[in-house]
This record gives sequence, C-alpha cells and structure tokens, in this order.
Amino acid sequence: MHEMGIASSVLEAVDKELHLYPGHRAAKVGLRIGEFAGVDTESLRFCFEAVVKGTEWEPLELEVEWCSAQDGRRGDELEFAYLELDEIKEAAA
Amino acid sequence: MNRVAVEKKVLSENDLIAARIRAALANTGSLSLNFIGSPGAGKTAFLEQTLMRLPLHTRAAVLTGDIQTDNDAIRLRRYGYPVRQITTAGACHLDARMVEAHLNDWIEKGLELLFIENVGNLVCPTSYDLGEDAKVVVLSVAEGEDKPLKYPGIFRKAELMILNKIDLLPHVSFRADLARENARAIRPDIDIIETSCITGAGFGRWLEWLAVRADKKKASAQKATAPKASAESPVAV
Repeated sequence: MHEMGIASSVLEAVDKELHLYPGHRAAKVGLRIGEFAGVDTESLRFCFEAVVKGTEWEPLELEVEWCSAQDGRRGDELEFAYLELDEIKEAAA
Repeated sequence: MNRVAVEKKVLSENDLIAARIRAALANTGSLSLNFIGSPGAGKTAFLEQTLMRLPLHTRAAVLTGDIQTDNDAIRLRRYGYPVRQITTAGACHLDARMVEAHLNDWIEKGLELLFIENVGNLVCPTSYDLGEDAKVVVLSVAEGEDKPLKYPGIFRKAELMILNKIDLLPHVSFRADLARENARAIRPDIDIIETSCITGAGFGRWLEWLAVRADKKKASAQKATAPKASAESPVAV
C-alpha cells in the first residue's frame, strides 16, 4: 500500500545522489529490501514503473536484492545500494 | 555505464526529520510512543482509557492519524489533554514530516508523554520512523493469533504488544497463549500486556510500564543537562 510513496522516495534519493555526478544520467537504481521491511517488491516494481513512465527519468531501471534475516542481515533493510550512471553525450550542434 | 555504491537508506529524508524530532524530545525528556495496529484493534479506545487514568497534571498530548475524518481527535479530546488530528488524505501511514508539522509548540512546552496513534495498518507504518522511543503494536482478540507471523515486521520492531479486548475471550476462538508464543517467536524480548477497555483489566500494568519508561527518559534528559538545574519544565501544557 505504501509502495507508491517508497517509489517516490527512491526517485528523490536518486535525484539527490545524481547531483554528485554532473554530466551523467541515472540508468539503473539498485535497492536492498529485507524480508521484514514491510515492502512488497512486486508492488514496488509496479509503482516504480508508474512514477517513472512519461517523465525525464525514463527508462530508469530498478533492481531489487531481496534479503532474509541471515548472514548478519537484520532483515528490515530498505536501502539504496547502488546507482548505475550513463554519461550524457553532448548533442551534435 | 558505471556503477557507484550509495549505501543509504531509501527513507533517509524521513529519517533525518525523525532524528530531529528525537533530539528535540530527548532535550525535554519527553517519552514518545508510536501505536500501530489494524483498523479496529482498539487503538483509540486504548488511548482513551489511558488518558482517563493518567496521574493528575501529567503533561501528555496525542497526535492521531487517519486517512479521513477527525473522529478520533474528537473522542480523545474529551479527557482534557491536547490532541491534534493528522489527516493523511489517502496515505496509509504517518511519516516524520507530518508529525513534525503537527508538533510545533508542543515540544517547547515540555511534554512528559507524547502518544502517536498511527493510521490503522500493520504493514506500512512499520517502515516510517517518527522519532519515537518505542513502537507499540496493538492486537485484539477479535483478530487471528497468527497476526505476528503474518506481519512479522511490526512485531519485530515493537517493544510492547498490547493484547486488547480480552473481555471477548470467552466468546471467540482466539488462543491468547498461541498469540503470545507467535509474538515471541518473532521477537523473544517483546513485552506483552493484556488489556480490556471495557473492564479496565491490564491498565494497572500498562501504566506501570509507561511510568518506568517515562521516568527513564526524564532521567536521561536530566543527566544530559547536569549539572544545570532540573530539566523539569515549569510550563503546563
């Protein structure tokens, strides 16, 4: 139910991070979501596509690493793990 | 394409605001509790019974969240404490920004207790830190005893489970022992208090729990401001 809000928060976080890399656009965002995070990954994917569609973010991709509360993980992670960037090529004059 | 590690929380903006609220409440030694439960678990009734039983002159306040209507605020205001309704207009949870926007002058008045009643929902409110000292999950015996297993996120994060409406136990097939066992399977150290808003059962134990936590919070604020004079605020809310 709150996945739409999470999807918007992901875009806000990407936007903030992107300021550190002038001349680049975001191609893919990687999240880490724990089993106890209370986030449905399928619903999040659906919402993410919906908030990206028709905006300047398109075709930003989302990759989710789902993790259980093992191997030192708490299981409630809702983390922005990485960002993949493409260099913006200058358009020919 | 090049990949850069970010390793930040998705809700870091929310968490920043929550940290600001937590710091402000720490200064005044105010205990803040975030109540989460299904619609109909009895969160509002539980808070009404709590307000009714607080020691005289307790500086308490309530923020209550709902998608629509200020019905809960109207109910809670009858006990003489300040109450503000947060109407989320569609959102299924409270976030730290909403809480901060509604707190404004309350913090400087030096609250002892801040109760936050979240929107009725066992899933979404779990993800949002509101700067509280503890989350309290309210489960009623009119629900299933397997709720802790179905919604482990909140039972893992809550320090206290209120098992509410126990006056109904003779009339429902709910097994309280199994509910306790399920909650402890998710969080072994969860405190559990069984209550009834009709008979008043369990409220003595709950008020003790509350007093211990409130005293601890007040003491840590006084310690932080030592050797200055008492952190007690003379201003009544």
